[in-house]
Amino acid sequence: MAVAILFGLVIGFMLIGVPIAVSLGMSSVMFLLWYSDTSLAAVAQTLMQAFVGHYTLLAIPFFILASSFMSTGGVAKRIIRFSIACVGHMRGGLAIAGVFACMIFAALSGSSPATVVAIGSIVIGAMTQAGYTKDFAAGVICNAGTLGILIPPSIVMVVYATAVDVSVGRMFLAGVIPGILAGVMLMTAIYIMARVKGMPKGEWLGWGEVWASFRDAFWGLMLIVIIMVGIYGIPGVTGAIFTPTEAAAVASVYAFIAAVFIYRDMGPLKATGTGPEAGRNQSLLRKPQALVTAWFHRDTQKTLFEAGKLTITLMFVIANALILKHVLTDEQVPQHVANAMLSAGFGPVMFLVVVNVILLIGGQFMEPSGLLVIVAPLVFPIAIELGIDPIHLGIIMVVNMEIGMITPPVGLNLFVTSGVAGMPMMRVVRAALPFLGVLFIFLILVTYVPWISTVLPNAVMGPEIVTR
Amino acid sequence: MQAAPEGSFTDRIEETLIAVILGVMTLVTFANVIARYVFNSNILWALEGTVFLFGWMVLLGASYAVKKNAHLGVDAVIEILPAPARRVLALISVVVCIAFTFLLLKGAWDYWANFANLPQTTGRWFPTGFEETFRPKGWYEVNDIPFPEWLGFVRDVFNDGDEYEKLPRFIPYAVLPLSMTLILLRFCQAAWAVWCGRQDRIVASHEVEDEIADVRRKEEA
Amino acid sequence: ACDDGEIVIKFSHVTNTDKHPKGIAASLLEQRVNDEMDGVACMEVFPNSTLYDDDKVLEAMLQGDVQLAAPSLSKFETFTKQFRIYDLPFMFKNMEAVDAFQSSDAGQKMMSSMEKRGLAGLAFWHNGLKQFSANKPLIMPEDAKGLKFRVQPSDVLVAQMEALDASPQKMAFSEVYGALQQGVVDGQENTWSNVLGQKYYEVQDGITETNHGVLDYLVVASVDWLDSLEPEVRDQFLTILDEVSVERNAAINEVDMEARQGVLDAGGVIRELTPEQREAWVTVMKPVWEEFTADVGQENIDAAQAINAGL
Ligand code: NA
Ligand code: NA
Repeated sequence: MAVAILFGLVIGFMLIGVPIAVSLGMSSVMFLLWYSDTSLAAVAQTLMQAFVGHYTLLAIPFFILASSFMSTGGVAKRIIRFSIACVGHMRGGLAIAGVFACMIFAALSGSSPATVVAIGSIVIGAMTQAGYTKDFAAGVICNAGTLGILIPPSIVMVVYATAVDVSVGRMFLAGVIPGILAGVMLMTAIYIMARVKGMPKGEWLGWGEVWASFRDAFWGLMLIVIIMVGIYGIPGVTGAIFTPTEAAAVASVYAFIAAVFIYRDMGPLKATGTGPEAGRNQSLLRKPQALVTAWFHRDTQKTLFEAGKLTITLMFVIANALILKHVLTDEQVPQHVANAMLSAGFGPVMFLVVVNVILLIGGQFMEPSGLLVIVAPLVFPIAIELGIDPIHLGIIMVVNMEIGMITPPVGLNLFVTSGVAGMPMMRVVRAALPFLGVLFIFLILVTYVPWISTVLPNAVMGPEIVTR
Repeated sequence: MQAAPEGSFTDRIEETLIAVILGVMTLVTFANVIARYVFNSNILWALEGTVFLFGWMVLLGASYAVKKNAHLGVDAVIEILPAPARRVLALISVVVCIAFTFLLLKGAWDYWANFANLPQTTGRWFPTGFEETFRPKGWYEVNDIPFPEWLGFVRDVFNDGDEYEKLPRFIPYAVLPLSMTLILLRFCQAAWAVWCGRQDRIVASHEVEDEIADVRRKEEA
Repeated sequence: ACDDGEIVIKFSHVTNTDKHPKGIAASLLEQRVNDEMDGVACMEVFPNSTLYDDDKVLEAMLQGDVQLAAPSLSKFETFTKQFRIYDLPFMFKNMEAVDAFQSSDAGQKMMSSMEKRGLAGLAFWHNGLKQFSANKPLIMPEDAKGLKFRVQPSDVLVAQMEALDASPQKMAFSEVYGALQQGVVDGQENTWSNVLGQKYYEVQDGITETNHGVLDYLVVASVDWLDSLEPEVRDQFLTILDEVSVERNAAINEVDMEARQGVLDAGGVIRELTPEQREAWVTVMKPVWEEFTADVGQENIDAAQAINAGL
């Protein structure tokens, strides 16, 4: 009962317009003052502990930063060119290329909204010009953008791994096959719709264009290689070089170098509008001082600040969700929930249905990372008890979060798509609906076929150890 | 939202601080990877130093986000309400925020005070005074960050003149009472703005749209 | 859950409840307190770092938000540098020596020296002696040269690795297995039960039986909380704690050997050292003592060595 009031407060506060972070924090504090002896100092300690005690969460600012440099630095448009060169000639090709580009960008970026912004801001306009309806374009990108958190790296996976203490590297590997599968399912659905409705197809520009666009996108695509090789190594050549958290920081530095010194779409070497070389990027040889000035350049500062600001709003929610988690743990709620569910005789199948329902409902109201922080510790002990693989559970949760991102009222991808496409949010919701169906089928598939999630991490890293 | 001409002086300080902290966090972590992989060495304080910076950035940045109305929230319900009702809900919301930050400020002070050899407040949720006896914890050090010599004077003030090997905890933890004070201040300002009718909500409404407009501008350029 | 009127004893620790020596002892204590002190006191155990980690639990204890904890001994080095004696390499011959030192005057005095900072040491809980493991065979100390070892935060352990010309590395505990497997770091040091529990043997070339250090825990409570208890309640609680500690500590060699056998059964490689080989490790690592003698106190080192000699 008390717990029901707690969650009622959280949702009530949110709906009247209290920031999500404060809704979580205030409900927890009220609950704590009323039901327990724990001091307010413990709440402050938990807030500090959100950062100091969870080293893995550090990956979040770094992946956000890497993705900011990638979007500002013009990597997205090169990826799109490459995608169009590969699949643009098929029926519905531009839409399929959009999904493909989202998949590639997802492998560079840890977040779904970032993927929608990077790809959507270019592709939706291009699709409308090519004769697709705006609704269709928005629906495609809104959905494909959710792959940002399923294809590694992924901020949501980092949060899950932190919340239940499993390996981030293992979670990342687990996302590879489901991510590709989801992308292929979306592309297939589009292709079928395109055949049925006779949607436009692009021209085959030849292998020359595929090669040229690949070369142009090469330095951006290299980041995928750096992250994967850095975390997992190459058998027989090198061991791993860094932890997943460090990978994010390395990715940021690499993305900065690629954006400023190779693509020169930002920073001191960017083309200026005036002078003898107007419109052309400047050579580092002609302007060697850029090696120093780039680090302090206005573009660099601005990208750092934008990434910092996004980190702040996201982490403030997560930190307050950790306060709620602390209060729930302190009152031993997870044990009670676990006992209730186990004594109700839930088997693995029924349990996973319940998890899906909780997350789908929660996903309507909550930002994904915050929701995961709260739900994961509640259901994790039961999953272990029932013999469900923690990595499999994590992928199920991530896919649920994907669906939450494209369902109202809180759906980060909906917000972003409505902005990118210049459409009212409810129209985006309707536009996203057909593809939401695809994601639902995918969710069922992932839930009841654990193999999809676990085969790759088990092959590379051996079976998950459960020491609890 | 960025350091635009209309941004105030404090805006610029806060924005620069956020950018600098994130930049330093990234470089320190990167440097540790280089130290380990290339030089087979280490920066033992890198991890702890970075997480403290992380905490500083988010907690201090949270007050900036209040000022800029950037905190994530649900505006689906308030969007469909008439203006007067929206104003009432905004007032209730901001009061909730003020109450929360006030409680957190008390908690933050109580948590930090003993580390700085200062008394906690008494009272369960409302400070009713300062405790008379307490155990000072000025000696309590962090795990890895070495004590910088130029901070030598705090030895005499907080540690009875004893040496510190590592940074005392009250220094990184000071961000808690500091940031809570700032957030409380910003929420009070927001409350005043809502009362005067200058804003009708305290959550980000179409915050993302600004960013997208920004991306667009860049694409067109 | 606790009934109204019962004294709530929250015990927060970082391991599982049924396999790790500390977890087993905590569960036994919980069961006995809840059976024998029913109506007076009630213990709630929070395992697996769900409530606090080892670092924050001491802060929370001084703050009064948790009543009982059992962090590893290195965590107390901030409270009194004398505790660095437990991290000094080859300080204790075996677990009997550790046990004897802990119950000696020197050991007890060391434990109570934290009282002025608000912590009351109640009982030592054993985990066992530490072994080295790496991604290549470690036979002589030179084999560790240039390797990257993950260590817990402790200046002594850092110095110990540097004495071996190895590179000490800080890393979150949850990332260690992956980092060892993928080769981000090369080796680590831990007790048999942790090597088995964390399955480090799967991702290391082998474990070398060095017994070079000790990993034990100290059960602590805050002085203020203990003082707040009625004397008879406190006595009953401390008596139960003592009995549990004696029972579990007596079983530690058996638990350790079971864990060691478990590593073998699971296909792990264990390398034993000849007395000469072991002596080589001692020669290289023992100079670390000098650096910390002032912190630990010569008289404590002497007491420990006297115990070694007597066994
Ligand atoms: Na991703
Ligand atoms: Na949603």
